[in-house]
Amino acid sequence: MTSVIEIKDYTWKYLHTKAPALNGINLMIEEGSFVGIIGPNGAGKTTLAYSIDGLVPGQYNGIKKGTVNVFGKEVEAYGTGELQQVVGVVFSDPEAQFTAMTVEDELVFGMENIGLTIQEIRERLEWVTELTGLGDLLLKPPYEISGGQKQRVALAAVLAMKPKLLILDEPTSMLDPVSRKKIFEVLRILKTEEDNTIVVIEHSLENLVPLADQMILMSDSEIILQDNTSDFFKESGLLLEKGVHPPGALHFFHELSRQGLYDGDYPLTVEQGKNLLRQITQ
Amino acid sequence: MTDKSVYIQVNDLGFSYPDGTEALKEINFEVIEGEFIALIGQNGSGKTTLSKCLNGLYKPTSGDIVVDGLNTKEGTIVQMVKRVGYVFQNPDHQLFNNTCWDEVAYGPRNIELSEDEVKERVDEALIVVGLPEHLYGEHPFFLSKGLRQRVAIASILALRPKVIIVDEPTTGQDIKQSLEIMDFLKNLNEEHGHTVIIITHDMPIVGLYARRVIAMAQARIMADGPTREVFTKADILEKTFLAPPQITQLAQADPSLGFDPGILTVDEMVEQFKGLAK
Amino acid sequence: MNKTLLGYVPDESPIYAVHPFVKLFFLLIVSLFPMFVSAPDWNIGLMVVIIIFMWISRVNMSTLKIYVPVAISMGTIIFLSYTVMGGTHPEFELLARVAGVNFYWERIRDALVVYFRVLPMIFTMVFFLSTSRERDVIVAMRSIKVPFVVTYVFAMALRSAGMVLEDFHIVRQAEQARGFDPAGKSLPYKIRQYVMYMVPLFALSLRRSEEFTNALVARGYAFTGDISKVKRADYILTHYPYKYFDYIFIAIIGLVFIALLIFRYGFGYFQVDQSWLIGLLRDAVS
Repeated sequence: MTSVIEIKDYTWKYLHTKAPALNGINLMIEEGSFVGIIGPNGAGKTTLAYSIDGLVPGQYNGIKKGTVNVFGKEVEAYGTGELQQVVGVVFSDPEAQFTAMTVEDELVFGMENIGLTIQEIRERLEWVTELTGLGDLLLKPPYEISGGQKQRVALAAVLAMKPKLLILDEPTSMLDPVSRKKIFEVLRILKTEEDNTIVVIEHSLENLVPLADQMILMSDSEIILQDNTSDFFKESGLLLEKGVHPPGALHFFHELSRQGLYDGDYPLTVEQGKNLLRQITQ
Repeated sequence: MTDKSVYIQVNDLGFSYPDGTEALKEINFEVIEGEFIALIGQNGSGKTTLSKCLNGLYKPTSGDIVVDGLNTKEGTIVQMVKRVGYVFQNPDHQLFNNTCWDEVAYGPRNIELSEDEVKERVDEALIVVGLPEHLYGEHPFFLSKGLRQRVAIASILALRPKVIIVDEPTTGQDIKQSLEIMDFLKNLNEEHGHTVIIITHDMPIVGLYARRVIAMAQARIMADGPTREVFTKADILEKTFLAPPQITQLAQADPSLGFDPGILTVDEMVEQFKGLAK
Repeated sequence: MNKTLLGYVPDESPIYAVHPFVKLFFLLIVSLFPMFVSAPDWNIGLMVVIIIFMWISRVNMSTLKIYVPVAISMGTIIFLSYTVMGGTHPEFELLARVAGVNFYWERIRDALVVYFRVLPMIFTMVFFLSTSRERDVIVAMRSIKVPFVVTYVFAMALRSAGMVLEDFHIVRQAEQARGFDPAGKSLPYKIRQYVMYMVPLFALSLRRSEEFTNALVARGYAFTGDISKVKRADYILTHYPYKYFDYIFIAIIGLVFIALLIFRYGFGYFQVDQSWLIGLLRDAVS
């Protein structure tokens, strides 16, 4: 298993802040995995995401220590625009990501940037439109579609570039529950049918937890906990202390565990929770 | 039990936008002083439109709304603003001034109070929202989102409306920040007597803080009642495309297990579990 | 209904079948016509032709009423600058002297000529903008190989205008929610209102521009470096194939232009002294 991301002793301080945004980060993410990064606002999650895509230090001034390697090469060693061909980023604000005049132009923009031919563009356009269910919206301008639809467009536009590494920075924080589910549904299909490595920063745990192989907790510029999902949530005490609330069903079983009333795995979905509940009340 | 009065009466309210879209149909309900209501629904269900009708920003196309004896169709802007305050979702849309202090003073100055009164209200509002004093002279643009939201709320509080409507208080915030702002609103409601209406689709928060839920879908009210009650109406909630919090769903999983379907918190469920285990 | 830059044109309008490049070509070439034509009769005729084109394209003709005050104020300005600001010219024929201002025949004649030159140029621009959607303008520019950066900046400017308008509405509501009531207030008060709008609009744009730049970079777009020299596929153009009548239109416009030049410089047509209208006026003032 090759590691897609390898970060060693990485510290980053933005120019005008007193404390570093990231402090001594060590992280290794393997190809094909689905990783969730959680933690309170201000913990450094977005800065970490930007560091992996080269936006930091590319677009921001500051002081960097340590190394950030993506696909075996230091982020700063990539030429302009090279890293973006293999790493795709979806940001949290649907409004600010729409870079073109219509949905179709948006999906095509990235593909044109990387120099694909008309035929290749046509094929990928069809694939990505089907995957994200945007067929009816292709000719609509951004001001005629909802926030949830805009995020799906942003996701599709990034996927059209077929990045091997996909990073999503709070993709659903501005969306309502239904739109949120739709985004995660696309991620679920990607996980099962494609071989991207996916990193998702989220607050909405109930959608993230069922999909993530690995979870990372960040707080105060550091990585505090990193483990596969099931074992990660055994540390619910630490999580609650850091202001992270596990999904309701999982939290319930953790409480039972804590009070010595339950001794088994935690459910990662409501369905699993319901089944477990039936079992233990029998 | 004290007999609280009806503060807002909504009678057969209908609202259509100039281009013809019907955003509200046959809306009827009352708001009693001191309530803590969550107005929930999908984006596009009409909840934002409804709340803007409540404070007079939009005038009803049919039916009417009476706030504290004043019909919103007849009330002037200044009259309405003293009764119902509205905090917008994005604080950036409503920060006009160069310092936080002036920002909070903007409202009271608009309703033409004396400078002494203005000073009194601003100081009071800023203390209630807990803004650190050294930030009073700072430009709101440079504050964090949470603090900007507080300044926005303070600027509405300074107008001393009985009812405060807050649009999406927790969107984009982490759990800790969400709980902080909600605790603050709870305090406003319980300690200071304001009627609080939050517009949201964050169901766990609704379960924790709101005593009454009005659920909307497709321009209509689908359900209106105490939180626990509304959360048990699974079929109606389905129409709003919203699901109750996970813990409530868990409790409703199998009625034969004996859990109260209106459970709102993990602690409640654990207690019931222990009770049933005996 | 499709939203064009200056209004709305119904879906079934024939103008949509025409390739945007033809519309741009029309704009660029036909707006040159009046420069070679002095006789106002011909320029008025051109204006009528353009109005007929607008009618054929099913542009909402009532929107033209908006331009009447523009036309009047422009005419007034031109008239004033050719008379009141005209100065003293003893070599010209003095028609009248009113309140110390000299009204020379030549000046008035020239004012008319200029006025009827400018009007059709404006009308051609109005025709283009009324029948072009944002996408049409982009496609037109791309088809004449305008550099991508330029068309992109243009498109983003159009888009930001839309976003700013949206923000503007919300900011207005926010002001109202804080008790700001402009009704019955003085003008300075109202001006203060507009200045207040700037603050949140500015703040919002600033916040968005950072995210927008990040989004551009993340989409692989670069303004400099090897990556920016990549040949773009211009996928949007695949939706706009040239049809036979596009070539015919282009040829017609080109030929008319050449004919105009030939008649003007070869045969001396379109001159002021040949103008029937000017002649009429001349007789009237003599």
